[in-house]
Amino acid sequence: MIAFENLEVRYGATAPPALKGLTLTLDRGIVGLLGPNGAGKSTLLKALLGLLRPSAGGGTVLGIPLGAPEAARLRGRIGYMPEYDALIEDASAYEQVAFWGELSGLAPEAARDRAHEVLYFVGLDEARYRPVSGYSTGMRQRVKLAQALVHSPELVFLDEPTNGLDPDGRRRMLDLVLRVRAELDTGVILASHLLADVERVADQLVILDQGEIKAAGSMAGLRRALARRVELRFLDPLDAAQEAALTELGAVLEARNGLYDLELAETDPLGVFRWAEAKGATLVQLTPRHDRLDEVLLRALHPVRGTGLRPTPPEAPRPDQAEPAPDNAVRGTGLRPTPPEPPRPDQAEPVPGFPSTMGASVREER
Amino acid sequence: MPIYAPTLPPAPDLTQGHPPVLVLMRFDLARLWRQKIGRFFGFAFLLVLIVKLAVIYVKYLLDTNVALRPMQDFARTVLAHGADFQADLLNPTSYLLWFLVALVGGGLVARDTLYRVRPLMYAHPVAPKDYLIAKLGFASALPFAVLLPFVLLPWAMSLGVAGIHGPVWPTAPLRLLPALVLISVLMGALAVGASSMAATPRAGVGWVLGLVLGLSALAGMVHGLTGIRAVDALNPILLAESWPQLFVGVDHPLMGWAPALLGTAFHIGLWTFVAAKRTLPSEAVI
Repeated sequence: MIAFENLEVRYGATAPPALKGLTLTLDRGIVGLLGPNGAGKSTLLKALLGLLRPSAGGGTVLGIPLGAPEAARLRGRIGYMPEYDALIEDASAYEQVAFWGELSGLAPEAARDRAHEVLYFVGLDEARYRPVSGYSTGMRQRVKLAQALVHSPELVFLDEPTNGLDPDGRRRMLDLVLRVRAELDTGVILASHLLADVERVADQLVILDQGEIKAAGSMAGLRRALARRVELRFLDPLDAAQEAALTELGAVLEARNGLYDLELAETDPLGVFRWAEAKGATLVQLTPRHDRLDEVLLRALHPVRGTGLRPTPPEAPRPDQAEPAPDNAVRGTGLRPTPPEPPRPDQAEPVPGFPSTMGASVREER
Repeated sequence: MPIYAPTLPPAPDLTQGHPPVLVLMRFDLARLWRQKIGRFFGFAFLLVLIVKLAVIYVKYLLDTNVALRPMQDFARTVLAHGADFQADLLNPTSYLLWFLVALVGGGLVARDTLYRVRPLMYAHPVAPKDYLIAKLGFASALPFAVLLPFVLLPWAMSLGVAGIHGPVWPTAPLRLLPALVLISVLMGALAVGASSMAATPRAGVGWVLGLVLGLSALAGMVHGLTGIRAVDALNPILLAESWPQLFVGVDHPLMGWAPALLGTAFHIGLWTFVAAKRTLPSEAVI
């Protein structure tokens, strides 16, 4: 659906890059683009729409190269819901949705019919003839979603769709996003700084910060990895040999005061008991660590936090994870694996605690 | 509680639509309709047009009615004749027209800036040149549409009541229509350029009026100080008034062909360039 390599975007020739050499491949689905304000999410969407020309690198969206002459035609296949209020205040929802439909290539009469249908789809059937200046925030967000869907795009970019909405409004908007994916078979890129929104609807995740991809992968992979996090306590402190042997169980994330945080290689915790018996250690506590996604996000964004964390060793592919993929692309996650490289002196340490399946699926180049 | 549709059927064919330029211009026309300024300007221009038509009939009567012959000398002193009369068919409305162009054209680009819809337009299959052509086209079509009846109706009436020897020359439209095109493009370019520099429609009106009146004052001062008439080519009001005079060939036009051509080309080029720069996608998204 989308692929880009070494994508760099600047606002002006002398300005620092807003996107710093991003490399990523995304499959069709709902992709959560997550990051704090100013991370580069909107810039990335605008670059993918062809509104900003890459200063270096490039990519393809729906098979069309970024910056190509046919980019204008590509925009007819994409819907864009901007973050800000891009509504024509003196026009009704019906008038402006029909206008955006015409601008996408619909004939005038078809655009008017379509405006009725799509406004009904987003739940604005009754209010569609009123000027949008009198709309609530939730209704305004739905008008923006309607204009993004009016021409049945193959891919829709939703930039902070739940901005300013109350919990009920957020739930309704996210339900609509799920319906867009499920019923219309439209790919969705959802940019948000709200983790709960992304967690609820996305099946792929990209974490951006300061114009760089901090992590990316499938939500299923992330959840699987989170399910394998455990905390172990032994009756007696482990000796050096036993500590070293802990890596047989999986990645050791943290060790403090006789407590060991591990990301197990196997989902079955019985292996831990077998390991303890074999090594002569008495296991007195095995607690599943139900890390929330926000903890993972914080670790990705602030890798220096949490002293005493050890970097995750590279994980060997497990038999149940191995899937045939052309060109070293990992299907399912839709992300390209990073070829194993020796760490460079200037390379940042791997994000501690971030699931290794996620970290390995992204190649970030500067 | 909103009611949601069971599902959304696929959209019809996307290749049947009109070109983006046409869609944008039609939407601007709908906006103008919503502004409800048509009544005042419609009444004002209609009044001027009725007076012009009445003058044509009076001139016809003076030429043909024996009873009115004693008034002919008086009429000659108060009414224009020949080429001056033909040129005047467009000129008396120019100030009112500049005001209309400022009110409508000042908000053309500024309203999109205020509502932040331009980036969304560019997120559709709309190129910056489509946007610019649509805005320039609409801003130019407005004065053209307003002034067109001032050329055609007096001509048709003159032909109708007096034939080819009436007060309006039979060839008047051939001379006045090119002038009208130049005036319209000049007004449209200036309005769109000024509007592109404004953040709100009201500021856009101010920009247009400020540029028109400011440049007129500047050109007048420089002309007064130096005595060089060609400086008047900076003055958009004089430029607009001089084109009908040049095309119909009055004896003493406000300025010559060369200054009028250079001045008009300068204004159209400068304000189109400003508008093009101010409506680039990069400008729109920052």
